[in-house]
Amino acid sequence: MSTASAHHPKLQHHFVSMDQQFDASKLGMWLFLITEILLFSGMFVAYTVYRVWHPEVFEALSGALDWRLGGVNTLVLLASSFTVAASIHHIQNDNRKGLVRNVILTIIFAGVFMFIKYLEYSGKFSHGVFPGEAYAPFGDHYGHYADVPYAPQFFSIYFVMTGIHGVHVLVGMGIFAWLAFRGARGDFSSEYYTPVELSGLYWHLVDIIWIFLFPLLYLI
Amino acid sequence: MRTLVGVFSGLIVLTILTVVTSRIDLGILNVPLALTIAIGKASLVVLFFMALKWDNRVNGIVLLLGVLFVSIFLIFTLFDTAFRGDLSNVDDTTIMDMEREMTGGDAAADHSEDGSAAAPADH
Amino acid sequence: MSVATATTEIPGKQVTYLNHEKSIKSWLLTLDHKRIGLLYMSTIVVVFLAAGILALLVRIELMSPGRTIVDAQTYNQFFSLHGILMVFLFIVPSVPAILGNFIMPIQLGAIDVAFPRLNLASYYIYMVGGVLVVAAMLLGQIDTGWTFYTPYSSRLGAPIIFMTLAIFIAGFSSILTGINFIVTIHKMRAPGLTWNRLPLFVWSIYATSIVQVLATPVIGITMLLLLLEKTLGIGIFDPALGGDPILFQHFFWFYSHPAVYIMILPAFGIISDLMGTFSRHEVMGYKFVALSSVAIAFLGFLVWGHHMFVSGQSAVSSIVFSLITYLIGIPTGVKVINWVGTMYKGSVSLKTPMLYALSFLFLFSIGGFTGVMLGVLGVDIHLHDTYFVVAHFHYVMMGGTVVALIGGLHYWWPKITGKMYNETAGRIACALIFIGFNVTFFTQFVLGTKGMPRRYYDYQPQYADLHALSTYGSWILAAGLFLVLFTFIHSLMRGAAAPSNPWGGASLEWTHTSSPPSPHNFDEQPIVTHGPYDYHHYYHGDGQSAEAELAPPSKA
Ligand SMILES: [Cu+2]
Repeated sequence: MSTASAHHPKLQHHFVSMDQQFDASKLGMWLFLITEILLFSGMFVAYTVYRVWHPEVFEALSGALDWRLGGVNTLVLLASSFTVAASIHHIQNDNRKGLVRNVILTIIFAGVFMFIKYLEYSGKFSHGVFPGEAYAPFGDHYGHYADVPYAPQFFSIYFVMTGIHGVHVLVGMGIFAWLAFRGARGDFSSEYYTPVELSGLYWHLVDIIWIFLFPLLYLI
Repeated sequence: MRTLVGVFSGLIVLTILTVVTSRIDLGILNVPLALTIAIGKASLVVLFFMALKWDNRVNGIVLLLGVLFVSIFLIFTLFDTAFRGDLSNVDDTTIMDMEREMTGGDAAADHSEDGSAAAPADH
Repeated sequence: MSVATATTEIPGKQVTYLNHEKSIKSWLLTLDHKRIGLLYMSTIVVVFLAAGILALLVRIELMSPGRTIVDAQTYNQFFSLHGILMVFLFIVPSVPAILGNFIMPIQLGAIDVAFPRLNLASYYIYMVGGVLVVAAMLLGQIDTGWTFYTPYSSRLGAPIIFMTLAIFIAGFSSILTGINFIVTIHKMRAPGLTWNRLPLFVWSIYATSIVQVLATPVIGITMLLLLLEKTLGIGIFDPALGGDPILFQHFFWFYSHPAVYIMILPAFGIISDLMGTFSRHEVMGYKFVALSSVAIAFLGFLVWGHHMFVSGQSAVSSIVFSLITYLIGIPTGVKVINWVGTMYKGSVSLKTPMLYALSFLFLFSIGGFTGVMLGVLGVDIHLHDTYFVVAHFHYVMMGGTVVALIGGLHYWWPKITGKMYNETAGRIACALIFIGFNVTFFTQFVLGTKGMPRRYYDYQPQYADLHALSTYGSWILAAGLFLVLFTFIHSLMRGAAAPSNPWGGASLEWTHTSSPPSPHNFDEQPIVTHGPYDYHHYYHGDGQSAEAELAPPSKA
């Protein structure tokens, strides 16, 4: 990215250079990321407020979530973050095959994450553990949570937090499918890979949110 | 690439660490420890995967700004929720009750009438 | 420098952003920040008209006790929709989306904002939000006020779902505009345009955008949680389900207090530019005025609890929020003092925009002082939810932001349209607005201190005279606003062609572009060599051409 790229076909007319365009996009993306952080902050605040009010409930109910599934999902998401970072590393070295391979791996990891998420959700739904008013647990594993006060709040917060996070994962899968397509078509090079960089930043943020959700909901 | 692999391994180790420590009861340390590990993991992702370590300083400031305002949101809300009900002059007796006590006498007749209106006050 | 190039051509034949493409598609799908600004303007004017008519109806209903024209339920919907439209669809986007879009990139010496396509997308997202609001309106039943307090709102009928979605979506538009502007100001400045040479309007848009980016996501998640409370009963806010209604108020005001600064900060920027240009004097304490915007933006996040003094929140938080509320008076006072100081020893010319700026100074100061009063814990218990509060925020929002917006529109009108407006009509309209506004709302201060609660349909007869007076005021105010509209329409049809710099401004939109600007704003990349208020530069400096530019406009 130097003066040689001044006439790059991807340079929009209102920018002076590819560098300026890249920096601008990246700053825009970081600003977008903090809006995402603040969006999630509302749920973290709700979590903290209810946890401060009813610490024993939250401690007990974290046992209702399976830390093994949550743990595996954490590792899966970390792996996907790694493949994203690797894909950017590859395209910076003009390795388009490496880029596409890692992007596809990312989609697969995200799919695994969502599949495990699906198992968790359906396991709860089948035992009457729903968010909100529909909450009516039964069965061996969940039945004894039926009369715990504020248990509905815990599960509501759990479903809302992981649900919105899951939506972000799905959106990310869509974005990476599009990146894989464009990467395979040869749109990207070391001179222009802004969409890869920005999508990567987004994906890492989704990972970071999960890094906090996992211990807060499953472990403590 | 080597850095990336190193960071990835670090993240896995920390994940295992947080799971293992959560299995042991550390009393009040449970929550702070889990959060510390989470913050450590998040920092690794931010600095290396998101390459903020080598990036334009503005982007880092933007991130810190976001974190700062999340903390403000959280802390100032807790100023209320953690101290809810600290108004020492609020008690279960309503002003109407006090007036009745002072005037004495025909309280019984009044009470049955106002019973429903006074109810929300004592919670 | 390159000032003269465009103006030497015969007006009417020059290629401008208005006439270089004419199809409807070239307007609706434009990526030009100027045209997008005009798209916003047309929509926002319609919203303002609709919400203004609702306000007039509310005032007519309140003219006498009991039923005057509508029943209580309809009245409740009227004031709710007035508030919702005015806050979320009019005043939050108003100045940034219209003037910020049009003027700010030119003041930076940029061809466009950083992300033109995102800019257009923001507009259409805003439109989707608007359509949903209209849908919710037509379905009826929204009578929550603009604050949507739970548990009432979460138990309301289906239209509240549309309304929360609408605000969630309109919020996105606001966020995207904010991101776009911050990046534009960081990355698109012309060579030589250092942070210390930015016009104060740009500084204020910058501060506003930061607030937009940081605060708006929280109203998004609040509305989402409200939606889930309503549909699934997640029990976060509704006490019947174990939730906490005060927590909703925290969420709501974490956005909505900073949103007050989203509304007023851009107005500060307009006033700074007006004060400088029409006093022909460098804005006093430039750095203080610029940085006080940032200070206000920051402090604005630490005071939201002052809306909740009687909600039952803890005493600790009331005290903290009250103290920090006083602190906001400091940077605000810094601004007012510097504006007044700018006029000192300047040569003040009382053109229409300056009259609006002076109105602003008067009205906003009253709004600001009464704000400090409301921040006092003991006083607020007496005045909370009375007409005193209603009067206070109308002095800030209408007397502040709307007056500044209209002043700014007059100021930049020749640049935007290439036409002058009738100065006399402009001044009369300003006077009508000033008088009408004070009659309407100063009366409400009195009503409030006498104990008239806000949002009530009916009231005791002793309030009747003041209510009637307030309603008469609203008619004068409406007459003034319609005269503004008429003046502008008249100018579009009959107005004289505007020179490129009718007021003798020193920022780039006046010195380096024609009126109206060419499609790409500048004929060549401007290089900035002096500050935005160095008027002497155009008196004595290099500018032979500047002398000509400063000549008074031909009879308007
Ligand atoms: Cu406020």
